[in-house]
Amino acid sequence: MNTLVTLITAGITFGTVLLYGTLGEILTEKSGSLNLGVEGIMYMGGAFGLAGAFYYEKAAGGIGNGPVAIVIAILAAFAAGALASAIYSFLTITLRTNQNVTGLALSIFGTGVGQFVGEFMRVSEGGYVALSNPLKEAFSATIWPDALIRIPILGPILFSHTIFFYLAIVLAIVMSLFLNRTRKGLYLRAVGESPSTSDAAGIDTTRYRYLATIIGGGISAIGGMVYIMTTAGCVWNHEGLAGVGWLAVALVIFCIWRPLNAIWGSVIFGAMMIMYLRVSLPFIPTEIYKILPYVVTVIVLIITSMRNSRDKQPPASLGLNYFREER
Amino acid sequence: MKKTLALFMVALIAITSLFANGGAETTAAVADDGTRTIKVGLICIGDENDQGYTYNFIRGRDEATAILAEEGINVEWMTIYNIGEDSSCIDANIEAAEEGCEIIINNSYGFEPYMLEVVDDYPDIEFISCTNCASWNDGRENTHNAFANIYEGRYIAGVVAGMKLQEMIDNGEITPEEAVIGYVGAYSFAEVISGFTSYFLGARSVCPSVTMKVSFVGSWSDATAESDAALALIDEGCVMISQHSDNTTPATAAQSRGVYHTGYNNDMTGIAPAASLIGTRIDWGIYFSEAIRAYANGEPIPQDWCKGMAEGAVVMTPLNEAIAAPGTAEKIAEVEAALADGSLQVFDTSTFTVNGETLTHAFALDTDGDFTADSVEAVHDGAFHESEAQSAPYFTVQIDGIQWLNSAY
Amino acid sequence: MSEKRTPFVRLAKRTDIDPKKAWLIRVASIVVALILGCIPMLFTGTNPIEAYSVIVQGSLLRPVYFRQTVKIAIPLLGCALAIAPCFKMRFWNIGAEGQITMGAMCATYFALYWVDKVPSAVLLVIMFLASLVGGGLWALIPAFFKAKWNTNETLFTLMMNYIAIGIVAWLQGGPWEGRKGSQLIPMFDDAARLPNLFGVHIGWIFVLVLVVLMHIYMNKTKQGYEIAVIGDSQNTARYAGMNVGAIIMRTMFISGAISGFVGFMTVSGANYTLYSGVADNVGFTAITVAWLSQLNAFAMIFISMLLAVISKGANTLQTRLQVPASISDIITGILLFAMLSCEFFINYRLIFRKKGEEVEA
Repeated sequence: MNTLVTLITAGITFGTVLLYGTLGEILTEKSGSLNLGVEGIMYMGGAFGLAGAFYYEKAAGGIGNGPVAIVIAILAAFAAGALASAIYSFLTITLRTNQNVTGLALSIFGTGVGQFVGEFMRVSEGGYVALSNPLKEAFSATIWPDALIRIPILGPILFSHTIFFYLAIVLAIVMSLFLNRTRKGLYLRAVGESPSTSDAAGIDTTRYRYLATIIGGGISAIGGMVYIMTTAGCVWNHEGLAGVGWLAVALVIFCIWRPLNAIWGSVIFGAMMIMYLRVSLPFIPTEIYKILPYVVTVIVLIITSMRNSRDKQPPASLGLNYFREER
Repeated sequence: MKKTLALFMVALIAITSLFANGGAETTAAVADDGTRTIKVGLICIGDENDQGYTYNFIRGRDEATAILAEEGINVEWMTIYNIGEDSSCIDANIEAAEEGCEIIINNSYGFEPYMLEVVDDYPDIEFISCTNCASWNDGRENTHNAFANIYEGRYIAGVVAGMKLQEMIDNGEITPEEAVIGYVGAYSFAEVISGFTSYFLGARSVCPSVTMKVSFVGSWSDATAESDAALALIDEGCVMISQHSDNTTPATAAQSRGVYHTGYNNDMTGIAPAASLIGTRIDWGIYFSEAIRAYANGEPIPQDWCKGMAEGAVVMTPLNEAIAAPGTAEKIAEVEAALADGSLQVFDTSTFTVNGETLTHAFALDTDGDFTADSVEAVHDGAFHESEAQSAPYFTVQIDGIQWLNSAY
Repeated sequence: MSEKRTPFVRLAKRTDIDPKKAWLIRVASIVVALILGCIPMLFTGTNPIEAYSVIVQGSLLRPVYFRQTVKIAIPLLGCALAIAPCFKMRFWNIGAEGQITMGAMCATYFALYWVDKVPSAVLLVIMFLASLVGGGLWALIPAFFKAKWNTNETLFTLMMNYIAIGIVAWLQGGPWEGRKGSQLIPMFDDAARLPNLFGVHIGWIFVLVLVVLMHIYMNKTKQGYEIAVIGDSQNTARYAGMNVGAIIMRTMFISGAISGFVGFMTVSGANYTLYSGVADNVGFTAITVAWLSQLNAFAMIFISMLLAVISKGANTLQTRLQVPASISDIITGILLFAMLSCEFFINYRLIFRKKGEEVEA
């Protein structure tokens, strides 16, 4: 029982990073854009989030205010991700380039920009870039009083996390309500299912795709920032985010494009990635644990396609561009 | 179509003609006033941001530069960061050689096999692989290895940790059985095994009830896994964390959970002031300056270099007096002296058992390349003698009292 | 949509653009990309002209560097050729990364355990065949599910990459590990290494031959025609009596086998050992190479060399001018964006509304 509690608690730490990446990609894919650049977007989010907080603290003379730094980091990461996705949107929606190829190009570009900014900060600041200890503390502290965390079992699972986890939960709920309960959400899903039908119904498909992709990219980028500012300890980590973006893409499938599923899905994925450190099964080699998320994703993908139930499919126009004149 | 083909043929001819004339440039820079400038390449697995392994090399680099400058030897460094233990290491070595480096230092264990692919093409360049072990029997003149007796520093760090644990027991904060150390190791590999065993023996020399759990993360440098492993160990009841991995995340993890920590490669008290007691590191400046000086004077660079605490090659970082147990500083001085005069052996076979029995035999060297040691007895005069037959550690025995949580790595 | 107003800009599909003009636009886009690439250089205070000249020097102007560049281009070109038939068929195989890894893994098995049993030439042939089977079968799995249940191949092949990489990571630290605990597979024996020709492993000849073969396969054979028809419309293909599922599986097997072959060349000719990162993102970058070349096998030679020049040149840029080598990814990304966008201007005309009359651009 204790192992399970600690596994879940630890799973949430990495799961939070994934949750942002996944939520952003769900919003993006709901509009019909398959943005495979999440990997690059999260790199950019990590680098710019760190840069935002770091230069803020520097400008404040080394005594930064915790909440302000957090807000700046979120905004910087969001802006970087939104900008990257704006490039993607312009290319795929306006210039009609192939989504797969453009996404891959973005993932190369974003990884490069992230690493470049991280490296550049190190070189220009003379070797080591990190926030001061009090600010680090602000990023990694929980928002609840100690008494709540000490509640057996539920305490650590529910109350021991950073503010980013709770923000992500709120975001998931808001996104779920938006997609399922609002008119605009309905329109967005319609664009993802059939742009030509929605276009004929008078919905501005271009606008919806642009906005969903750009906002989605911004949300994904926050995940990269959360990784750098919590797990990596507010220090740029050259390879730390490698593969995280792709895992987020997998998670979108695993939770069959539903934001609420992403909450527990991200915890499961997060737990699977670190399970080898906590649950030792002698007959399963540790590296095999790490491919579990991908294996279960493949299984989900196969089963949903075999059962062919309509509500568990990818958005019908996912990956396809819409050309009005070819209607 | 025809045009493309013609263009293609022209390109092919251009390619082959370019291939045909090979040969590298070598530069030798001797200034008018007699001072020599030596260009040295340093290929690193990470960068200063790790505040651990690679950062420690960078410090050694800068220290050696300062030492040599006073002797009239100028060192021009070419540092290449963030190289993986893969074929990009071949490329980095070629790059450094082509850009005129006379000595090329590879800082990670896994670089050596790739470095060895390049060395024969550049017989005039000296190649150094830190922490690895091929040069003593690879039959080449221009390859070298280097390491230091870091196990001495780890033993002392263990003493500091043990004294803290004993203090906690004496104060009634934990029971003697709860004195459990958690160790984050990179791989289940000789250098790591040697390191945590010496650490454990140091701790047990002052806290007899201590036990240890080791978790391997499967990477020299993976900030996430190192942090997760430390947290997992703390969740299993460990109250003291130490590490053999490149990042500082085990220290921050220990601090966040209110347990103690001892570091490696760097003083981590700045990063985790309430957790980190002390650290130990190799002072690479000693070796770098020796090797480069030898090269500058036309003398051979030692084939397999290994020095210890007595020569300053292994040093302790400042003790965190605010949280260390009283009397720790005096004890450190005492142990250092005993190590220096030889009255204390770290791997004294009377201080540990293997499956309940005293260790009487272990080989040090692998001569036939099957990765199992098969010659040179390491156990003699009542102790296992580490880093005597070669610089790279070869202690791979699993002693009683240390539990391996995951041995797949 | 009651009121129809002529928008400020509208599009018209170009039907017949002069091929010369099309290539001119493409070259112009490369120039624009290289100019945009100056931004990160200026950011670090580096003179872009100096930086570009270092990139050229560090990739082309010294024999050793030129060989290094070619060594980077070989797998890119090989893998782009592998991807071409899939993309022609509009089967979005983004699993080349995993197929390379699997091919490399199968070849490595024989390099490690058969090296004493057979002579070098035979061993290399066995490794070659093993890599074809390994890569091919790995690609066949998603193709089978696509053919049978229409499972989304983009996502499926993507997941297969990380499964393949994970399996190799396990072998690396498990059954195939060299020195205990080192996580390194031993270097190959000389017998298991591809010979060199003009200083680069002979893979460069193989891929150039493959360029010609792939050109013929895609343009002159019945199978190539079938692929093109399916790419245009699966329904048309079905009406014409083609077994679409079988063709998808066959094409994916061929594609995977070529990727596997790239994996073999990489372990046997360049790395001399296997590790989990053996594919090194080639599988992804090659997709952009194939697409930018319009799936034209000969154009791929140029594009793959261009990307290799940037990649190799950036290493020298880092050692000489301390510009982080990750700049190569930025420039590559910008280049890809520019070249992707330029197809739009090749395929469409922009018509601007201007006081009643229409102006073309």
